[in-house]
Amino acid sequence: MTAALEIQAIRKVFGDKVAIESLDLTIPQGAIYGLIGPSGAGKTTAIRMIMSILFPDSGSISLFGGGTALDAKDRIGYLPEERGSYRKMTVGAFLTYMGCLKGRTRAQASGRADRLLGRLGLTDVFAKKCEDLSKGMLQRVQFVAAIVNEPELLILDEPFGGLDPVSVRLLKEVIAEEHHRGATIIFSTHVMAHAEELCQQIVMIHQGRKVLDESIAGLRRQYDRRRILLEPLDPGANLLALKSVAGVENVKLNDQGCDIRLVEGTEPGSAMRALAGAVAPARIELARIRLEDVFIRLVSESGTANESHEALRTHLQGLSNTGASS
Amino acid sequence: MSISLRRIGLVAARDYKATITSRAFLVGLFVMPVLFVIIFTLIPRILNSNSPQVVGEVTVIDPTGKVTAELQQTVTPAEIERRRSMEAGQNPAAPPAQPARTPVTVTGPAIPRLTLVPLPGDADVQARKPWLIQPRNATPQHLAIVVVRPDAVVRRADSGAFGNFDLYTSGHIDDNTETVLRGSVRAALIAARLHSVGEDPAAIATAEQVTQPDSVVVSATGEHAGSRGIARFLPFACGILIFISVISGGQALMTSTVEEKSNRVIEVLLAAVSPMELMSGKLLGHLGLGLTMTGIYLLMSFYTLGVYSMAALLEPMLIVYVLAFYMVTYMVFGSLMLTIGAAVNQMAEAQSLMGPVIILLVAGYSLTPIVGLAPNSSFSVAMSFIPPINTFAMIARVASSAPPPAWEVWTTLAIGCGTAALVVWFAAKVFKVALLMHGKPPNMATLVRWARMA
Repeated sequence: MTAALEIQAIRKVFGDKVAIESLDLTIPQGAIYGLIGPSGAGKTTAIRMIMSILFPDSGSISLFGGGTALDAKDRIGYLPEERGSYRKMTVGAFLTYMGCLKGRTRAQASGRADRLLGRLGLTDVFAKKCEDLSKGMLQRVQFVAAIVNEPELLILDEPFGGLDPVSVRLLKEVIAEEHHRGATIIFSTHVMAHAEELCQQIVMIHQGRKVLDESIAGLRRQYDRRRILLEPLDPGANLLALKSVAGVENVKLNDQGCDIRLVEGTEPGSAMRALAGAVAPARIELARIRLEDVFIRLVSESGTANESHEALRTHLQGLSNTGASS
Repeated sequence: MSISLRRIGLVAARDYKATITSRAFLVGLFVMPVLFVIIFTLIPRILNSNSPQVVGEVTVIDPTGKVTAELQQTVTPAEIERRRSMEAGQNPAAPPAQPARTPVTVTGPAIPRLTLVPLPGDADVQARKPWLIQPRNATPQHLAIVVVRPDAVVRRADSGAFGNFDLYTSGHIDDNTETVLRGSVRAALIAARLHSVGEDPAAIATAEQVTQPDSVVVSATGEHAGSRGIARFLPFACGILIFISVISGGQALMTSTVEEKSNRVIEVLLAAVSPMELMSGKLLGHLGLGLTMTGIYLLMSFYTLGVYSMAALLEPMLIVYVLAFYMVTYMVFGSLMLTIGAAVNQMAEAQSLMGPVIILLVAGYSLTPIVGLAPNSSFSVAMSFIPPINTFAMIARVASSAPPPAWEVWTTLAIGCGTAALVVWFAAKVFKVALLMHGKPPNMATLVRWARMA
């Protein structure tokens, strides 16, 4: 299958600051990729280079098997993080204009805009001026502007920022519909829950470098070998007694039972057997790795020195290769 | 990378429509023509119809004993009217030599009705001065004291010059009445002097009456009435027409760019169009605005000149040149304003960068009256080839009474096009980089650095 996006060793420097360093990325058509990372990591710069709004100092970017975004603007939908609209224009005129710019006829653009506005709960705003809408409504309108041309590649930079939960749910549904229609979707976020929920693949960027490129399924198969979750069979069992089990570093009680942290180097299989011997479990398992944990770990463990970056990548590789054991 | 003319057209059409329907632009568009109409048609009528007639007294102290009698003649309304006609270049006594055009009404405020109050020649002027001090609405109004010098009619033996007169006026006298009074005293003095040497002032006045004929311009396309007064004004009018259209289109271009940047819609647009397409569309959209504005002003000029039967002054080739030079000038200055709009975050930040651009524009149109008076002087010719003000100098020469040869006009156009291409190239480079730049407003050095970065 032809890649929707292929990035090879791109680098971008602003003055003394390296914004993107040696970024490689291939996104197959029809995939949903999440681009995650802390603020200032380089996500937006990477997206702007994909959109040919900025240009890499070195390396190459190609879309749909060749060419840049400048050659394929009509096939791309883009919702930038810093998004606006023409305040004095009506919503309908604005969306029709955006659709026409992206190769649709007025009738096509207007019709699809009207349908999408209805889908997003904005049935009566077509004739209203953009300046008369609330911030949340305007964000939904801007989202419609990004997909009004039925893009083959949809790039969303922080699409849920500032939206209420109902709007977030609506947007997620429409994103899923766009995906089912066949669109390739890249979206950048720092809200890990959104990425976990929507994406097939996660690309994590930190300080301009890609530090993780892993499928959600792969991440979900990974476990934290130092954390064990235990739910006792007897709700009245003395869970604090587990602290005395060999290899246990600490025990945190929670509503379901407890979260047990093992000493570094402890073999989890033997520890689980010992724990089950001490307190009869209704459920005992190794804790799954959450994206948020990976993110926090990568960010907290990374430094500015190159050696730390290398250590970080080694650590990630170790995580990816680790299978589950219980 | 391909440039889409369709997208450029869409951007241009949106910018054109959005700006031309904005209240601020519409007000700006019609303020100048309305002022034009007011100045050239309404104000003279208002002045004629509404000026109240001044009625008052003028004290005359005449030691010569000869001026007062003459002044009684020159201060009459009929004589004042005759002098006005003479000053306007018309001969009230003679029938018109040629029925060339609609007669120009001699306009002016109402003629004051002045009554002379003669005092003895040795009267004390100091004692008389309090006579001038009275309430504004007093009747009759005491307007002035005219004191004729003893040698005003017959020169002293030791002097080659005649004596003059002194004038003391009330604080309430208006400028028109004082002007009429001065003119009447002057005419009276001349008449008294001529009588004293045995000459007939009426005969001399008749001899002086030479009505200026209207010239007839003979050209390859036919003959039409010339008008030296308006023709002198034409170079400046063409210059200011280009100036106003360029600055209006350029300002609107800059404002819309700043708004797009500050509204954060710019990145949404860049998802659909390339920076070059966006810039080209905006430039063309506002070029259309300027052309609309120029067209409206030209129509207004046709109308106004038509009122005076002088529409032929706007020759078709002159209009073509005005439009061509407008487009070249707009491309140069509009591109610079677009660059500034892309570089700053809000309008207030644009002021310092706009300074040099405005100075260059003002310098250009300020040249036009000077160049129009001496269209083929070395200075005028040199200015015609120095960008970016060459277009102003050349349009002034083209509109003057002695237009330059065609090759000079085309050379100026070629230089203008070259300059425009260079500035658009620079603007494109800065535009691409500056659009997504936020934060500290740049200076000229930063703009150059951005151009080198792009």
